[in-house]
Amino acid sequence: MSTLSLESLKSGSRLERVLASGAFAVTAELGPPKSADVALIATKAKHLAGSVDAANITDNQTAIVRMSSIAAGYLALQGGVEPVIQITCRDRNRIAIQSDVLGAYALGIRNILCLTGDHQVFGNHPTSKNVYDMDSIQLIAMLAGMRDQKTFACGDEIRNTKKAPVVEPRILIGGAENPFGDPFEFRDQRLAKKASAGVDFIQTQCIYDMDRFVEFMKRVRNRGLHHQVKILAGVTPLKSMGMAKHMRDNVAGLTVPAYWLERLEKAADKPAEGIRMCVEQIEKLREIEGVAGIHLMAIEWEEKVPEIAKAAGLLPRPEPATSQGAS
Amino acid sequence: MITATRKPFAEIAALLEPFDRVLVLGCGTCVTVCMAGGEKEVGILASTLRLADREKGRKREVLEATIERQCDREFFDVVREKIEAADAVLSMACGVGAQFAGEVFPDAMVLPGLDTKFYGTTLEQGVWSERCSGCGTCVIADFGGVCPVTRCSKSLLNGPCGGSADGKCEVDPKTIDCGWQLIYDRMTRLGIADRLEKVQPLKDWSTGHHGGPGKIVREDAKL
Amino acid sequence: MSARVAPARITALLCENSAWKAYLDVAGAPELAGIDVVRLPCSGKTETGLVLRMLEAGSRGVLVVGCPKENCEYVRGSDRADRRVASARAALAEAGVRADRVRMEFVSSVESHRLLAVARDFAASLDKEATT
Repeated sequence: MSTLSLESLKSGSRLERVLASGAFAVTAELGPPKSADVALIATKAKHLAGSVDAANITDNQTAIVRMSSIAAGYLALQGGVEPVIQITCRDRNRIAIQSDVLGAYALGIRNILCLTGDHQVFGNHPTSKNVYDMDSIQLIAMLAGMRDQKTFACGDEIRNTKKAPVVEPRILIGGAENPFGDPFEFRDQRLAKKASAGVDFIQTQCIYDMDRFVEFMKRVRNRGLHHQVKILAGVTPLKSMGMAKHMRDNVAGLTVPAYWLERLEKAADKPAEGIRMCVEQIEKLREIEGVAGIHLMAIEWEEKVPEIAKAAGLLPRPEPATSQGAS
Repeated sequence: MITATRKPFAEIAALLEPFDRVLVLGCGTCVTVCMAGGEKEVGILASTLRLADREKGRKREVLEATIERQCDREFFDVVREKIEAADAVLSMACGVGAQFAGEVFPDAMVLPGLDTKFYGTTLEQGVWSERCSGCGTCVIADFGGVCPVTRCSKSLLNGPCGGSADGKCEVDPKTIDCGWQLIYDRMTRLGIADRLEKVQPLKDWSTGHHGGPGKIVREDAKL
Repeated sequence: MSARVAPARITALLCENSAWKAYLDVAGAPELAGIDVVRLPCSGKTETGLVLRMLEAGSRGVLVVGCPKENCEYVRGSDRADRRVASARAALAEAGVRADRVRMEFVSSVESHRLLAVARDFAASLDKEATT
């Protein structure tokens, strides 16, 4: 069970403070390079700085090798963007993950998103062995245990020796949810499980089927989950008809109702129309009770984030109260 | 049963290339049921090897025999002489039998004729499907009798993941059912779906292969 | 392997419900001179391993003749025979042996002339270079 409050911050991160203050939060994505190209991260960070409260740094997304989320997250932090690093269960066991969490915290990272992780068959190393020592819910519980019980998964206290001080990683814990996955009836129950495991915030898969999302939020509110978990609705602006068709046909668990394609088809300037539709969607999402913010995934279009945020009335980003305790 | 498929002929032919007196040794249990290494399959493979030899003008002996099982010592007695007389034995048993034959006959060159796949069941003749991974601690009682470790591509204990669509697993929607859809449907049918609210804790993987090669010792059963 | 086929003989496995009946009307025909005929209760009795052993025993080629698939006396018999013949051909290909030494044909009980044509064609094909 998690409730965020400015009086007792868990991590003190900017994202936490915005969410705790009740302001509508904005997060985006920053994909690390498929190489050791440090300059790319600085470039992407420049696009996002000032327009978002934090940016997700993906972890070998789609099982394609990229610079590590923690390293890229640290560089993003240097570039003026607060990172939400991601940890998937596919590549690391509980030993490596807990080690990485200590390291991330030591480098100043304060937000961690817990994911199951795409199976390696989708990536560029399909013959590798996977790990899946745990699932995303167990991962959330493990990180909550590190922060709140100040123990590792095995029960050992997080202290260097018996005499040394306990220094636990004080992080904000996130998770993902796909309101459109199957079985639909089970989706809010799964969110409830993540809440009871200790998740602080959730980002959803990008939404096109607004009716289904409204239905999902109804079920979420029925369980009172919106009071326990801060829910950020995922949006992805459509750049072209090709992209719209790809989202509709090739992305598992994603439905794109016809009106998106119809409207895009009619427009002369499709990218501009795509952004317009995204902005309208954000305005509608702000009105749904229980939606605490948006997660703007401008895939290969990060430079448009400031424009979208501005048009949706989300700029300037609020400066929430600084904490007293957490660093 | 333990399921397996026969290695490609070219691979088997290459393994047997140096040998002039080969015994193709079948197994009458699991691999007979999954039609990979039983008497019938031994016959087909042995004939194919002999026809290939004849075509190349190679003179060598390819003999055949099939025993009840290759995972218990006693069944090898009837073929002891044949094994000892051969230069190489192509074991058509699963990986257990193929290794054990070499333990019973440590001086024999025993080569594997099959690729062992999984513990599974026959869905219909010619179609076999995996059911168990031998994790060492059976938890199917918590999941309506469906194993999340084996039937879920990611072995999630608190599934499903976001890649479940129309009851199929995103890893291969054509052939893989979503294990968590199966669990959910079965538990709903049995009226126990509410148990899925429980957060399943981290699994102890050490009771299975992750704890090292397994061994069971039953003191009460030893002579 | 105790049986031996006399050199240059073709072995024909004939289903008694169809091809065998056709055969009875033309039993002495010259096209059938080099062929050893075997009567099966159903062409589906054919086994891949059996076909291969016939070739090992010296048969020039194995011809399996069954009921047209939509009229098989035992419903799926000739369909199964067809697939086992395909399996035998695949094994021959793996062995580096010409796969066209085994063939499946479908002949009904009243098609005696067709049976002879099939036999003639099969024998001729074995005289030529391999097509597979």
